[in-house]
Amino acid sequence: MSISPIITFKAGLCNLNTATDPPRVKPLPEPGYIYLYSEDSEDGLVHFCWRQRSASLDNPGLKLVMVPGDGSFTPYKATSSQTPSNPNKPTNGRIYVLKFSSSSQRHLFWLQSRSQHESSDPAWFSARDLKLGQIVNTLLQGEDIDVQQAIANLPNDQNGPDRDDDDATMEDVEGQNHDADHHRGGSGGAGPDATGGDVREEGQEAREGGADGGRAATTGSTDASSIIQNFLKSMEGSKAGQSNPQGNLFTTLADLLTPASTIPLIDSADESVIDRFLEFLPPTLLALAQEIDDAAAVSTDALSADAAKQAIGLEQKKDILRRVLRSPQFSQSLSSLTVALRDGGLPSISEALSIPVTNGGFMRRGGVPLGGGDAVEAFLNGVKEHVKSNSQAKK
Amino acid sequence: MSEDASAGGWSTIESDEGVFTFLIEQLGVKDIQFEELVQLDSDSIRALSPVYGVIFLFKYIGSSTTSTSNPQDGTFDPAAVDSDAGFFFAAQTIQNACGTQAILSIILNNDPSNPSLQPSSTINIGQELRSFKDFTRGFPSELLGEALSNSSLIRETHNSFARSSPFANETQQDPAARTEDVFHFIGYTVRNDILYELDGLQPYPISHGPCTTDEFADKIIPVLLKRTSRYPPEEVRFNLMAVCRDLRIKAQEIGDVEALARQKRKRTAWEWENALRRHNFVGFIGEMLKGVVELKLEHGGEAEYQRWVEEAKKTTEKRMTESQARRKGEAGDEMQE
Repeated sequence: MSISPIITFKAGLCNLNTATDPPRVKPLPEPGYIYLYSEDSEDGLVHFCWRQRSASLDNPGLKLVMVPGDGSFTPYKATSSQTPSNPNKPTNGRIYVLKFSSSSQRHLFWLQSRSQHESSDPAWFSARDLKLGQIVNTLLQGEDIDVQQAIANLPNDQNGPDRDDDDATMEDVEGQNHDADHHRGGSGGAGPDATGGDVREEGQEAREGGADGGRAATTGSTDASSIIQNFLKSMEGSKAGQSNPQGNLFTTLADLLTPASTIPLIDSADESVIDRFLEFLPPTLLALAQEIDDAAAVSTDALSADAAKQAIGLEQKKDILRRVLRSPQFSQSLSSLTVALRDGGLPSISEALSIPVTNGGFMRRGGVPLGGGDAVEAFLNGVKEHVKSNSQAKK
Repeated sequence: MSEDASAGGWSTIESDEGVFTFLIEQLGVKDIQFEELVQLDSDSIRALSPVYGVIFLFKYIGSSTTSTSNPQDGTFDPAAVDSDAGFFFAAQTIQNACGTQAILSIILNNDPSNPSLQPSSTINIGQELRSFKDFTRGFPSELLGEALSNSSLIRETHNSFARSSPFANETQQDPAARTEDVFHFIGYTVRNDILYELDGLQPYPISHGPCTTDEFADKIIPVLLKRTSRYPPEEVRFNLMAVCRDLRIKAQEIGDVEALARQKRKRTAWEWENALRRHNFVGFIGEMLKGVVELKLEHGGEAEYQRWVEEAKKTTEKRMTESQARRKGEAGDEMQE
């Protein structure tokens, strides 16, 4: 028999542990697809299936024959434009629940495609995500729907395919404890026999939202910071893969980003570039710098103080950046990030910063991340290639 | 080392007057600040009055008092806590918490329960600490120490000031980190007109004799000098901080505009440092790296880029060899002894 799925999209299974209160959702890392089809030989009943990506269509891990109207496929405690600040967020991913009116059976799934949210809130259901779920739900109701057309009308993917094919991963985050083990799934298209597939880019590593000991997330790359924050925390106390004297020493970020190298960057930058840099710093710095200057201005002649304030807009911003680049806090962060790279953090870091590196930061054989000086070198090379391809694009 | 904050771990924090001041402010303490003393003389302390005590930070070279009979200077006062229910003396249970613990030993002993203070001069410790103190009233010092390390309010506030990098010393191969020196904090304060040394690693508060709050600035000096003389001068790293009333208030009271401005600027600087301390620089580092690479390539192409990298590599190598040589040399010295 040949199975022609009506709709296919990337999703993973979840375990729901109802023994605890609140119930605990645990996403299973295996990359997979949800797909629905109806068999002509049966009375047009819809088959709701889940299979591993590597499995064939007629070998699903889960297959449910759905009576029309019995099943529903809805977002589980979702964060979306309808509930943007969801206080009941169960996880840092997008979960759908398949429920039955005929029984209390429930199946939870997590979307494995990339989050569409602007700042990549991994729990955010985009319009596209919601619509996808609605299509499935409609099919389960037994309603007539031109799936092909509905899929064609799905809101578009905001973020273009500019990265390596990576699956979304997720950590179960009910409560405080979380699994700091970042799962990495294999990639793979929807397969030649999938129709109506979700052609979106595979999603990225899921992020931990603000669960890092209460430190404020920053503007700019909020999620990059969270990933790395958690990675660093998970490394505290472990000196795995530390200095390896026989290997490639290479250099450190601190030795590369000395004030001698960074200050000229600030000096030569124009206002738009400076403003962009400032987005990666705490916004309070600007206000504080203003305060310092105000205090100083009090003692000078009123007229010239005002004029000074107007004129030093850009210069003041540059001053802030220069001060930051010379600060002990910045130096410490450079050291910290260097150690993180050396200790196997290259895959997470390069991904979080959207800087592609060879093999995604892994060694050619096996899923072991690069370490030591090699990792730092690979990182720098990634930056260089990124910069080069960007300037090509500009031309 | 420190575990995940949510699992009950305490991070290391810097012993910085700004950090300590903001820390107690976060805990609800009113109008108190920390001021580093660069000179050990009574005038410097008196200039900050009212001073509630000092925090002495030093490199701890192991318990020089293993017996419980006599401390090296002063005398144990086991009765101090027994006769005075408001006397706060906690045993230190967590190394990383010792700074915060020393701070609290001064703050909590100078609240309205301290008979040495005029009612108008006592510290307003705020509601949360008041509850904590009430709850732990009558606890023996070990239990008090446990209560302190288990207090999520205190621990979380403490951890919120952790260094932006847990690995600051490792890559730089800081010699101080190598020898695994343990730093220790001790508080000195006046209570019941006695000058007390409050050290969480000692079994009891240590009395250094009668002393009123007015006499503190004078009497503390010889006590501290004796303490610092215990250590070989080349191995001493110590730091002294006074716990005093918010200096902006003092400046305002006497109409010292210049001093007020100075204190305000200092606060702004502390806030600046704290903002950076809490900031996650990863995104910013990414931008800087991209920017510098782009600048090098634009400026002088591949050649300039390579020059930059080579120079960095040389610096790293040089530092590595120097520190290895230093270690060998020191190891050699040790072996000869």
